[in-house]
Amino acid sequence: MRMSFDIDVGKRLGEAEIGVTFQSGPGITALFGPSGVGKTSLLNMVAGLLHPDRGHIRVAGETLFGEGADCPPERRRAGYVFQDGRLFPHMNVRSNLRYGMQEGGWMGFDEAVGFLGIASLLGRWPRTLSGGEAQRVAIGRALLSNPRFLLMDEPLASLDSARADEIMGVIERIRDELGLPVLYVSHNRAEVHRLATTVIEMRR
Amino acid sequence: MSPDDWQVVRLSLLVGIVAVAAALPFAFALAYALARGRFPGRVLLDAIVHLPLVLPPVVTGWLLLLAFGRQGAIGAWAEKWLGLTFMFRWTGAALAAAVMALPLMVRAMRLSIEAVDRRLEGAARTLGAGPWRTFLTITLPLSLPGVAAGLVLGFARAIGEFGATISFVSNIPGETRTLPLAIYTALQIPGEEQAVLRLALISVALSLGALVACELLARRMGRHAHVL
Amino acid sequence: MDSCLGGNDGLGQVGYSLSMRRLFLFFALLLTWPALAAPPLVLAAASLQESLNDAANAWAAKGHARPVLSFAASSALARQVESGAPADLFVSADEPWMDELAGKGLIRPATRVSFLGNSLVLVAPAAAAHPVAIRPGFPLARLLGNGRLAMGEPNSVPAGKYGRDALTRLGVWASVADHVAGAENVRAALALVERGEAPYGIVYLTDALASKGVKVVGTFPATSHAPITYPLATLTSATSPETEGFRRFLLSAQAKAIFRRYGFATR
Repeated sequence: MRMSFDIDVGKRLGEAEIGVTFQSGPGITALFGPSGVGKTSLLNMVAGLLHPDRGHIRVAGETLFGEGADCPPERRRAGYVFQDGRLFPHMNVRSNLRYGMQEGGWMGFDEAVGFLGIASLLGRWPRTLSGGEAQRVAIGRALLSNPRFLLMDEPLASLDSARADEIMGVIERIRDELGLPVLYVSHNRAEVHRLATTVIEMRR
Repeated sequence: MSPDDWQVVRLSLLVGIVAVAAALPFAFALAYALARGRFPGRVLLDAIVHLPLVLPPVVTGWLLLLAFGRQGAIGAWAEKWLGLTFMFRWTGAALAAAVMALPLMVRAMRLSIEAVDRRLEGAARTLGAGPWRTFLTITLPLSLPGVAAGLVLGFARAIGEFGATISFVSNIPGETRTLPLAIYTALQIPGEEQAVLRLALISVALSLGALVACELLARRMGRHAHVL
Repeated sequence: MDSCLGGNDGLGQVGYSLSMRRLFLFFALLLTWPALAAPPLVLAAASLQESLNDAANAWAAKGHARPVLSFAASSALARQVESGAPADLFVSADEPWMDELAGKGLIRPATRVSFLGNSLVLVAPAAAAHPVAIRPGFPLARLLGNGRLAMGEPNSVPAGKYGRDALTRLGVWASVADHVAGAENVRAALALVERGEAPYGIVYLTDALASKGVKVVGTFPATSHAPITYPLATLTSATSPETEGFRRFLLSAQAKAIFRRYGFATR
């Protein structure tokens, strides 16, 4: 079984020290733990937005950090879905979706739009979207950047249960149909139970 | 308005526009460095940028004379290698205006750059944008309201500039006699109150026009952004 | 209780009236103090700075309160007076500004005296100074080359007006008018020549003597321009009792000697 995520990192953040070591296979790897334990920091390290003090990060066979390597974020091909969406406010939905698109991506624009059900939102501005709509666009944007793996940071946290259910359906489809490794952060047991293939528990 | 008045207005507009255009890249670079940079001497740089705001304009003009006059270190070099003279010319007036406008421009732009959510830049990086593309597509567009504000303030300051201009390049009609200098000249002559009033009204109209134009521009650009 | 009230009534009333009187005296003194002891406020043209300071020191050395001196361009000072500035004496660098105030009834005509004179000179940087004969048609344009002639702004600064008049009467103005660098005041023009930014300048003799960086290379004949005189007058807004005393002192032999040392001509 090829390792999807092979992570062993340590970092000092202010007063606290984060140390995480795990390996996991295909499907959704859930990072589960209470708030403030460092789950988002770990995602940021895998994405290349935060530098570990030591260790290595290997995803789907490629070394992103460690052993002399330190890949900049733009070359790691991580599809990162942020907790707050982080859609670019000065671009409409279509421009947001297309921001990371390149020639020859494995998922076409119309395909992604259909997959997420966001065709009606294309001309809208991020400011005018509901929480659920914004989150779907964020997922679409990440998928369209031709990623090799996905990072999802509590994508359902700011949604009501109906929306959350909707998005969970989308994520299940990503897990089952697209075959991308996914590192999924949550502090919600029910979510993790439903979605995760592997669960990594983080404690203080 | 008389032909003389037109000459003064044209010169003021030329000096104002050139001053702000020339100062823009420096102002933005300084604003960016001060907003994002972490280097030793940052506080000192901040202080130096603000000097023209706090020094008496006559002193600033005198310093410009020392540095950019034909005998000055930079002035002599500029004349020899760039064919550029500042002394007694509108280029000198533009330089004085640019120096006086720079701190205001830097302040406005810096505030705006600091307000750009760096997490958005992080998001762009994960989507495959390198630092330069991130800057051009995320940082710069989001800080444009501040750039626009800086341009307005800079222009208003530039066309109102007096003290440093007259101490540096003197009062030469057609070359350095901008609106403020023309008003001052008229004030010096007994009985010229009409001219003073006329020129002052033109000055107010210009400044108001600049402010309104830039406000409209900023609103169109940023949809809901505004500079005032 | 009764004794308290009674005590207050009796002593209290006397005390009240005594302190009221003291208060009144205090305020009376406060209001009239300025007039009693205030030295004169003199508004004077900038070119008189060093010499007038010396004269004021000499006056103070005689035991009087030292006059307060305010130096600026004659035009600025005149406008201050027109706006109601409470000064005592005004010394202008030319007659028109004094005429302006006289016309508005702001000076006491009997006190007006043109008590100092000056000459107009051509200066060059001290390091490159060669004598220039100033006479009708002298080749100033050629001497300037593509440099500028630094002088007070010819329309508005008195020294500039005199300079333009002189050059016009000598038939030279047309050839140099486009090469003039009009400075805000004579000192600024001097600075330009000192720094070598302008090869020649037209300033007052008194200014040239005050600067080590320039040399006088020629003197404009007195006939080429209107007499450069400095009128002095008492303002109608004068309140200081020392005003007339200081004014007379400025006209005295002792003060004249001070002014002559700086290069002024005295009557």
